[in-house]
Amino acid sequence: MDLFSILDLSGHALTAERQRAEVVTANLANAETTRTPEGGPYVRKHVLFETDAPGGFGGALNSAIERNTRGVHVSAVVPDQTAPIKRYDPGHPDADANGFVSFPAINPTEEMVDLMSAVRSYQLNTAAISATKSMIVQSLEILR
Amino acid sequence: MSNSIQGLPLTNVDFTAAVNPTQATEPSGGFTDLLQKAVQQVDGLQNQAQTKITDVVKGNGGDLHSAMIAVEKADLSFQLMLQVRNKIVAAYQEVSRMNF
Repeated sequence: MDLFSILDLSGHALTAERQRAEVVTANLANAETTRTPEGGPYVRKHVLFETDAPGGFGGALNSAIERNTRGVHVSAVVPDQTAPIKRYDPGHPDADANGFVSFPAINPTEEMVDLMSAVRSYQLNTAAISATKSMIVQSLEILR
Repeated sequence: MSNSIQGLPLTNVDFTAAVNPTQATEPSGGFTDLLQKAVQQVDGLQNQAQTKITDVVKGNGGDLHSAMIAVEKADLSFQLMLQVRNKIVAAYQEVSRMNF
């Protein structure tokens, strides 16, 4: 693996973390949403990370030679399985016959921690990029 | 680092092709050819960086970080080319200063 493909690797990780931050932000924004186009309250979303599949024959050959260093990507954004939280609020326009309103099962604190984790991972990968960059610059210094 | 920075293969240069006058006219191989290819690849990376930056600025959905990485790659490969060029020029000057 040459140094430039390490940059690509970190780039993929950055993309994945950005998507994760996006989904978490959407969860936070919709923490109190009771109406969606699909009907019912907003459902919390999760991102699934997956290692990159080696693309084509060349990619497969490369990954076999390069000891399987692969990047990451977001394979899917899946809904949370938890049932919506019922709150008693008979005056609410979305209340059911018994006066209960379904709210998304979203804990803002949990989402904030998720968001911080995504930001930290992003930082980590930019640090990896800087490290790679300084390695390349170092090897150029040999010629000076 | 393995023996190449992406796109800039540092293969063995056949200096005999340049030294031997009978083979000098041969178009394939040779140091000039190698150098030209390297410059073209650096140019390719620069163009890539430009496209990505344009995408980001126009809002075509380009990722900011991938644009930055592309710029960084273009910069580093240019630095490599520059260093190699400096070395070649230095070697040439060294030879031209030679006393007979």
